[in-house]
Formats: sequence, structure tokens, C-alpha cells
Amino acid sequence: MFPWSDADNSIVDPLIPVLQAIVGARHVTSRPSELLVYENDGLPGYHMRPRLMVAPGTRDEAIAVVRALAAADAPFVARGAGTGLSGGSLADGIVMIGMHRTRRIIAIDPVARTATVEPGVVNANLTRAAAPHGLHYAPDPSSQTACTIGGNVAENAGGPHCLKYGVTLNHVVAATVALPDGEVLRLEAPRNDEIGYDLLGAFVGSEGCFGLAVDVTVRLTPNPAVICTMLADFMTVDGAAEAVSAIIAAGIVPAALELIDAGTIAAVEASIYAAGYPTDAAAALIVEVDGPVAGLDDDVAAIEAICRNNGARTVRTATDPAERARLWQGRKKAFGAMGRVAATLAVQDAVVPRTKLAPILRAIAEIGRRHAIRVCNVFHAGDGNLHPNIPYNGDDPDESARVQAACREIMELCIAEGGTITGEHGVGLDKLPYMDALFSPDSLDAMCRLRDAFDPSRRANPGKVVPVHRCREWMAAPGARP
Amino acid sequence: MTEQVRRADDPGAMAAAATTTHADSAADVADAVRSARNSGTALRIVGAGRWSGAGSPAAGVRAALPTLSLAKLSGVVAYVPADLTLTVRAGTTLAELNAVTAPNNQWCPLLAWGDDEGTVGATFATATAGPCADALGRPRDIALGVEFVDGTGATVRGGGRVVKNVAGFDLTRLMVGAFGTLGVITELTLRLRAKPQVDLSLCVQPARHRPDSGSARLGASALLKAVIPPIACEPIDARLGAAMGLNPGCVIVRYGGNRALVDAGRACAEAVGSVTEIGAGAWSKLRALDPHPRRIDRATVASSVARRIKQRFDPSGVLNPGLFGEPA
Repeated sequence: MFPWSDADNSIVDPLIPVLQAIVGARHVTSRPSELLVYENDGLPGYHMRPRLMVAPGTRDEAIAVVRALAAADAPFVARGAGTGLSGGSLADGIVMIGMHRTRRIIAIDPVARTATVEPGVVNANLTRAAAPHGLHYAPDPSSQTACTIGGNVAENAGGPHCLKYGVTLNHVVAATVALPDGEVLRLEAPRNDEIGYDLLGAFVGSEGCFGLAVDVTVRLTPNPAVICTMLADFMTVDGAAEAVSAIIAAGIVPAALELIDAGTIAAVEASIYAAGYPTDAAAALIVEVDGPVAGLDDDVAAIEAICRNNGARTVRTATDPAERARLWQGRKKAFGAMGRVAATLAVQDAVVPRTKLAPILRAIAEIGRRHAIRVCNVFHAGDGNLHPNIPYNGDDPDESARVQAACREIMELCIAEGGTITGEHGVGLDKLPYMDALFSPDSLDAMCRLRDAFDPSRRANPGKVVPVHRCREWMAAPGARP
Repeated sequence: MTEQVRRADDPGAMAAAATTTHADSAADVADAVRSARNSGTALRIVGAGRWSGAGSPAAGVRAALPTLSLAKLSGVVAYVPADLTLTVRAGTTLAELNAVTAPNNQWCPLLAWGDDEGTVGATFATATAGPCADALGRPRDIALGVEFVDGTGATVRGGGRVVKNVAGFDLTRLMVGAFGTLGVITELTLRLRAKPQVDLSLCVQPARHRPDSGSARLGASALLKAVIPPIACEPIDARLGAAMGLNPGCVIVRYGGNRALVDAGRACAEAVGSVTEIGAGAWSKLRALDPHPRRIDRATVASSVARRIKQRFDPSGVLNPGLFGEPA
């Protein structure tokens, strides 16, 4: 796929002793059998093997590794926990920097409500560490028990509670970044009393193409006094989708607003993650409201009324933590539960205008029928962030082809309706074919120029996010690395 | 000598400008940028002309440059109220924006420092926040998508029109706060909010009140830490108090939400001091007084990455040269 993927070992092999000297011999992995585990991220269907994996244990080691790679002009890919859903952290015959060892929480400041962490800190562990202060880290990807803050920053990760609290971008206040050329740069969110370029805003979500974050400072959020989780089930998907739009239009900002359809309910209820979702419903909504005690009952009553007006059969309300956790478990483990249905899963991440949810879900179902594939929806409905998941047998070439065709049709539909191709998973490799449909050549070229400003030598996560043929300057330079 | 940045009407600068071109479309902007680039001149980019130019020593030089005004590139491109998103051309004033969203009981809760005669494009290009920004979103949190013309004359889009989007590198965050030095913003898509059912503004005189800014700051800090978070909270010092007809050392605070929440907010305020209800007009007065002057973050704008971005987005130095203190 990439011109350097035919194992140009003349660059990488001399690096092995250099990297071993930085991180210790046992943290450089170069045997093919040991590298197998790094061939995948969280999205089945893509396999690429790095030439070697180097795992720095500290910030200084990470910087030294980046500098050694710069000196050797070696391309690299950074990886957190490998839970990404876009193939973004796959390394095709080049160096992988595994950040999973850098898992120290450097400082928690309960007064300023910030935490400074190494990038390998697991998302849920940060929330656990903040709990004694009555604080938590708000962005909560469904993989939060495994995924890392560094990976979250790279992808600008979302999660169910981003509806009210905002995505990763809104929670990162600073990062120390090792640029691919080895320069170490401190990036800070623009302060209220300062004027300047929002380089941190550009860096968050750059999918590892701009450099390597070696520490990250995030905002911590006070735990709400009350949390109330509701489950409303509907006999039609339309009813559930209309209820979503009506709740938002009423001016209520739930903490989370998730839709699960019958296919997903069936997979979840048949799995160890069974949450008690009604298996005869066409769709269910999980609606969570949180905040101070005052006013919350009114929001709960208003949401229940809206759900019933849109055809909800039952509305259950859970406030005790065990029952709430059970309702959420089914949602958060839904992708895992689909492993029971088939070995391979195509995961989509399009965002559409909320008001078009009902017709778009109907159209997606029709696309599934036409291609004789099974589409299971489980998604952040309040944001219009769809996750049509398609479990299939990746060893069956005919079914795989039908899934690919359906995925393309779903993407084209979402783009035509004014949506986007990814809301939180990133472009990586998986969405690369759709970038041309979403952005003009001039816009893609501008993105290449922004990447070039951070990484003029084009060595960080090459070949991802923007199709190489759209980077004019890159194409113009003879012999240039794509 | 001061680098402090103050917003001011700048009629002198406008009058001194050699020529002013009014763009009616993104294509006009692209033409103006290309022709400036081809003729080796530079452009001063303005919306309604409400900013005097980032306090830069080069502001005087810039005033003599040909001006490209976006004021006529105005109007709504797309607005679906139930989606709570709005796409407008850059020259749309904040007053026009408010007039469009108010009938649907929605707002862009930025209430940017200054007044509503400023344009949406300038507000976001300058990343101008306002009293509700900490609670309801700063410009970087509100902008969902952008169209701009870069210094080569290319028309570029970043982001989109939906509320969540990670497709491609983030050109939207790059444009917000860049003061038009990397591109001329021609269109923006913004996230709106439903207006609160109940919107209450109070003046709080902290118990053990002294007429100084320390008393106001302590009061504001107590209000921000209370059980009910306000949507805006500003300490009033002597200068602001005199201009607004309020006692120095007091705090003005705003609660929004349903009736029960706002009542609980008022109780929080009463626990901090004596409370008087004030109209929402107080916020307009405060905005005009621009209580939070900003300074240029020299370390960031002079960083290696920033210099390379400028070089790649405006290689000929056409756009607002010298504004961030770089050689004009």
C-alpha cells in the first residue's frame, strides 16, 4: 500500500540498538511473532504489521525516541491502547511507538480542576483517580476502560456524555508535544486574556499526524449531585428518532441520549452484557439527565412526556447506581456483544442533522435489505452521530463485497443529507476513501499544508487522514515521500 | 508601548485606508486576495471595522493598506432551528444573527465583548469571548465549520454543519483566533442553544462587602463554587461600577434554566450577599466596557509551527501583515 512498506529494513534495523539504549532491550519488540498483537486496532478487517514496536516508559524516553527516529529519517506511528476504530494506529512495515507504558498521573489539582497525565493513562483510571475529589474526566468513549488519554487526544474522542459536556477538544487545556523533527513544544488552549493561534485546537484530533503528545493536561468536571437514567422503548424506530429531536428542540440538554435498535438489542441481550432491554421493541432510548437536585425532576417529567407523545411503550427510570450501571453496560459493550453475531464488524461513525435521523435510519435499513446484510444501530442520537454496525463473515468474499458496497452507500447518503463521515472515530485508513466526497481538492490541500507545518518531513503516521493524491506540494516534489 | 488590546471604533484607520473593497461573495474575496498577491500588495481585512488591530505596533502601517471589507458579505445561508445549527456569511452582524434566532427562542450565547454591530466573522476571527463563554462555550467551542479564502486565493472549507465532526484536520480551530492572518473567513456554521426557560440576572452585594475589586472577586468565586452554576458571573470593580451605575465591589450574576433551577440559583446568590434583580441590559453595558483586555501570546505566534503555518497559508504575506508583530 505504501511505497516504504516493502520492509525497507536498511532504515529501521540500525535503529534497534539505538532505541534499546533509550528504553531498555525488553521494550523494543521486533520479532514478527511478537508483533502480531500490534497488527490490529479495535476495528477488525485491517491488518498491518509494524517493523518494530518501541515502548518508552517516560516522557523523556518518548522524546528521545522521537529524536532518534528524526535522526534516522524514519517514519513512525504512535499507538495508545489500540482501541481505535478507524485503523489510524496501524503501522505498515514502519516503527510503532507504543505509549501504553506511560501511565503515570503526574498531578491532580482539585482546586483548578485539572489533571496532568502521561498519554498512556487509561481514560477510566483518570476518572477513578479524580473521584476522591468529587471530580471526573467527562469524555467517555465506550472503550473508556481500555483506551488512553493520548489516543483520545489524537482522535478528539467522543462518547455518550459528550452531548452535554463536549468532546475531548473541549477538555484538553494543554499538551507537551514532541514534533516529528524532535522539537518539544508546549501547546495551550488560548486563555481568556490572550490572543494567538489555537495550535492546541489544531493538534487535538490530528490522528497522530502532527506529532506525539508526551504529557496532557485536561479539565476535570465536578460530579453531578444527581444522575437519573431513563430507558424508553418504542415499537417503531421513527418514534424513537422523533423523540430525540423533540427532546433537544425543547431546550433540554440531557447528559446523554442514545438510541439502540432491535438488532443491537438482540445481540446485547443474548450476550453476557444483557441489560434487560425489551427484545420485542423496535428501538430503545437511553436518556440520562444529571445536575443539581433543583430542576431535575422537571426535566425528567418533560422527557417522559415527550417520549410517550412519540409512541414510547414504557419509560423506566433508574437512579440507583447498580440499575444505572446495568442500563449503561449494554450500551457500552454493544460493539463487543456483536462478536456473537459474526467475527468481523464494519463500524461506521457518520453524523447527520438530528432532524433527519428518522428518514436516514429508514434509508439505511433499506440499503441493508438491498445488500442482504444485517445493519445494527447503536448510537449517540442526541448528536446525530450514527453507528450503523454491520457484523459479517470477513472470510466470505461475496458478503464482504456486499458490506463494502453498503458502507459506501450509507456514507454517500449521510454526506448528501448534509452530514459528515466521522464524528468521533477519526478518518484513519477506514474513512480515507470518502474524504474526496466530503472536501474539495483545495480544502484537502489546505489540510495537507497544516500537517506539513507540524511535520515538514512527513514522517508521523504517513498515509492517514488525507488521501495522498490530494497533497499537491507532496505530489509535486519528485521522489517525495507520500 | 502597551501591548494591551482594546476594542475601539477605528474611523481614523478606515479613513486613512488607501482604498476599500467590499466583497459580496467568497469569489470576490478570492479575487481580491489573488490580485493583491499578484501585485505584491497586502490587505487589511475588516468586518464592521470594530477592532483597532490587536494592539500591534504595526497597526498604523496596516491602516494605510488597501482594505478588504466583509461587511456586505452577510445573511443566513442555512438555519434549521430544530438542529440548533446556523450557517451565516461572515459579514452578518451579531444583531442580525440575534434577530434570526430569537423568534425560535434560540441564541448563540456568546454575547461577545463589544456590541452587536460587530460581525460574526470578526467575532470568531478574533476569538472574542463574552460573559457566558466559560459556562456556555467559547468561540472555539461554538464554531462547527468554516469557509475561508487563504493567502493564495484558494477557497477552503473545514469542519461541517453538524454538531460533531472529526473528519480531516481541524481548519476551523485554526481560523478561530487567527485574526485573519491565515485566511479571510467568509462563512461560519455555529452551534446554537435554546434560550433558558427562565433567565435571571442579579446584582449581588457580598456580605462583609467592601467597595473594592477584592471583595467582588471573592464574591464571584463563591458564586462560581455554589451548588447551582451561573451562566455568567462578573466582578464589578471601580471603573465598571462607575460606568454601569453599580456599587464597586459587587458581582453581577446570571442564572438560566427551568424555574426550579433558577430559584435555587437565586438562593445560592442570597447566601453570598444581598441580592437585587437587574435587567439583562446590564450585560450589554458590561460588554461595551470590555472588561477583559487581551495581550498577544508572543510565544505561540512566534513558534516554529506558527511560522510554518503562516508561510503555508499566506506565503506572500497578503493577509493582515504585521498584526501579530511579525515583520510586515
